[in-house]
Order: sequence, then C-alpha cells, then structure tokens
Amino acid sequence: MHIPDGFLSARVALGYAGLSSLGLGAACYRLRAQRDRGASALLGVSAAFVFAAQMVNFPVAAGTSGHLMGSALAGALLGLPGALLVMTAVIIMQCFVFADGGVFALGANVFNMGLVGCVVGFCCYRLLCGAAPSPTRRVASVAFAGWCATLAGALSCAGQLSLSGTARLSVVLPAMLGVHALIGVGEAVISSLIVASVLRFRPELLETSAQTPLTARPRRSAIYAGLGLSLAIAALLAPIADAAPDGFSRVTQALGLHSTTSAPSLAPFSHGIPGVASGVLATLLAGCVGTLLLFGLCWLLALALVPRPRSSEPSRGVAVEPSG
Amino acid sequence: MSCIHRASAGLKLGVSLALIVGLAALPAERAWWGLCALPLLLLVAMLARLSFRTLLRRWALGAPFLLGASSLAWFQPHGSGVALGLFAKSAICLLTLQLLASTTTIAELTRTLRRLRVPAPLCETLALLARYSSLLNDEARRMRRARSGRTFRSSRLLYWHALGSALGLLFIRTVARAERVQSAMRARGGA
Repeated sequence: MHIPDGFLSARVALGYAGLSSLGLGAACYRLRAQRDRGASALLGVSAAFVFAAQMVNFPVAAGTSGHLMGSALAGALLGLPGALLVMTAVIIMQCFVFADGGVFALGANVFNMGLVGCVVGFCCYRLLCGAAPSPTRRVASVAFAGWCATLAGALSCAGQLSLSGTARLSVVLPAMLGVHALIGVGEAVISSLIVASVLRFRPELLETSAQTPLTARPRRSAIYAGLGLSLAIAALLAPIADAAPDGFSRVTQALGLHSTTSAPSLAPFSHGIPGVASGVLATLLAGCVGTLLLFGLCWLLALALVPRPRSSEPSRGVAVEPSG
Repeated sequence: MSCIHRASAGLKLGVSLALIVGLAALPAERAWWGLCALPLLLLVAMLARLSFRTLLRRWALGAPFLLGASSLAWFQPHGSGVALGLFAKSAICLLTLQLLASTTTIAELTRTLRRLRVPAPLCETLALLARYSSLLNDEARRMRRARSGRTFRSSRLLYWHALGSALGLLFIRTVARAERVQSAMRARGGA
C-alpha cells in the first residue's frame, strides 16, 4: 500500500500531507499533555517491534505474500496517539532507509496507513471490545479491527490515486479492495495470534491501554456492534462507488487532462446482481454479506485461539514456552 | 566518505525533494522529460562512489511495485502512454530516493528533522526506532530459527501459529526492554 513518488499530483500530495500533519500534531499534543514520560521509551521500542514484525512475510494465496501493517494491533496495544506516532515513525523510516514509499507521497502514506488505519482500527477495537471484555471477545475484536483497518487504508489509497488522475476509480477501487480483503485476512490472523499470546503471558499490558469506564455490557452487544459496523462499512462503500466519477471527471477537467470525452463509467458496479434493481444496492448487499461473514470468521478464530478456562487438555492453540 | 556523503543532510533532502516535486508536477503527456534528470543522478552516484550494481539491484527490488501500480493507469483513454510515462517518472523518483538513502544516515536525518521543528515525541520515537530496529530484527530471526529447529512437522497451520506466537513473544520482550531502557535513562538523569 506504499504509494511511490510520481503517482500523486502535487495538489493531492500536499493536501494529504497537511491532513496527516494535523493528525500527528494532535497526537503529539495529547501525548505531551499526558506528561507520561515513561511512555517515550515504550513508543520507540514498540516502533522497532512494528518494524520487525513488518519484515515477516506470510503467504496469502498462490505464491503471493503479504506482510503485517500493524496499525490496528498498535492501536490495541498502545492506544490511539501512541499508535499514530509509532506508525508514522515506521513509515518515515521505510521511506528514507528502504525507499519504500515516496518522500513526496509521505503525507498520503501516513494518512492511509497511520491516520486512517489507526483511527479505524482503534475505533473498531474499542467499539467491539466494550469495557471489561473476555479474552475471546478481545481477540475477535482485534482480528476484525485489523481487517477493517487494512480495507480502510486501501480504500483511501484508491481514492488518492483516482483523485490524482493516475487511474480511474472503477479500475483502482476493485483492484485495491480485492487484494487487500485477502491481505486483511492475514493481518487479522497475525494480529489475533499476537494478542492471544500477549493475553496468555502478560494480560496486564492490554488492560493499561486507557479503558474508558463504560458500564459493563453483556456479551451480546459485541454482536450488535459488529452488525452495525458491517452495515456502516457497506453503506460507506456504496455511495463512494456511485458518486466518485463526478469528482473524478471534475478533477481531470481542472487538471487539463483530456480523458473527459468519454465519461468514466463504473462498469463493475453498474451491472449488479440479477434481481436487485440498482447497482448500488447490489454492491451494498454484497459488501454487507462479505463483511458479516468475516466478522463471524473472526469470532470463530478467537474461539479457537483462546483456551477454555475449564478444559483439562491443554490446547495446542497457545502452547508455547516463554523462553522462545 | 565522498563529498556527497559529507554534504549536509538538509541540503540533500532539499535537493531531492525539489527534484521529486518537479517530477510529480510534470503533466502526464510530458512525463518523458523526467528522463533528463537521469544523467544528473548518475553523476551524483559516481561522485558518491556507489557501485552501480548494488544500486541497480536495489532499484530492481522496488521496480515491480511501480510496474504494478502504473499498469492500473493503462485502463483509460490513451492509457498506454500515460502508464509508460508514469513508470518512467516514478522510476527516476525511486532512484533519487535510493541515492538519498544510501548517502544519509538516519541520525543525520533525525537531527535535521529536529532543526525543522518537528515535534519532539516523533523525533525521539524515530531515534529509538533507528537504534533498536536492527536489534529486534536479529531477535526475531533468532526466535524463528529456534522455532524451526524444534518444529519437525511442517504444516501451514503450524507455520501460522509459530509466526504469531513468536511475534507475540517478541512484543512481550519489547516491553521488557523498554522498561529497562527507561530505567537506564532515568538513572543517567534523562527523561
């Protein structure tokens, strides 16, 4: 998802650089206001951890591999301002040391993987977790939050590419979302495995990440929250798919590109499921069903990973000795 | 140490940023003009006494991503020219960035950022990241080697599980290390 230099127009790059420096400034202000000097070393070394974790590739499907993005995981482990700072540091480091992602596109990359990833990941996690969650619920929330953060980052990346006039939204949106829906599954699995082993050995590390005192809600509320989130995601996707060509053609006209003779059409979205009248409705339905399916899978994964409290047989799910 | 290595990080950052912004501002049908910057970049690489082979190998690592991303531009009116121009433009940008990365250390960069009034928490995080990333990378590699030495059966499920639990343990060790670093900093009167 790292956008290289040359793919974004100057206007888009500068605009997103402004947006992400605003978010970063807010995070720094918040961290300074907390006056928690003990956290500075933790943030620095956690950034090194995210960096190391991103080096590890996992197989996705048919020979391709993806790697962890880690923004939802960092949000769950360090809280929102800390996670934003850590992700920004990691992206800057990748840009200047490994030439992974461009300098001029740095603002946009920080926006996609830092700001959008952390905010979406953290909000999903907290919304699904509630107060005083059970281990199963925590692991399921992290998994679903990781998937949502990856997808949201890909969505915002596709938007930037099409706003720059690099590629049409009808091409870049399905391509990015399709690939990242798969990569997001890997992200969900790895994040939940990491959180499961942290829960096993040092559960207090997850308690400290700024739990707001909400009234303890029953376990069923996680299901409602998941349903609401899935609907929100699907509802967000559909209007974007519908309304974006206008914005795109306006931008191309403003930039003087000559592709306005044939108005861009959203071919994959205009031919919907037969029987459903509107293309938007079909997209909404498909997105909703897919997201719900994934939410159920996340819950099953969490059930498999977290051992039952009263089972006599030690499950192999987390059987690993701390000596490494 | 060549003269390019010794030049101030701010100057190098400014020049490469100006070049990249200039390239990004080229309209799609004039993207080929970006190739004019190639002789300049090769001159810099020669002055910095970088080996062309290493440079080319590193460039080839990044090029497939550029190719993939620019092929998305193919699907629009007059798309093939746009896609090729885009690839040329971004390939030059990648080369510029690689020259910058191989002649500037991260410590110099952090100092420059601090002089540019970047907030202190970000600078601290970057400095610590630079210091500890190689350490944690080595630790991760050791843990994976130990795990693969002990795991005789190899299956996809076990692979994923080993990966996840090793990373989880790495985070726990990270937190322990951060606590030690923090108390060492306190003992010396910092923070």
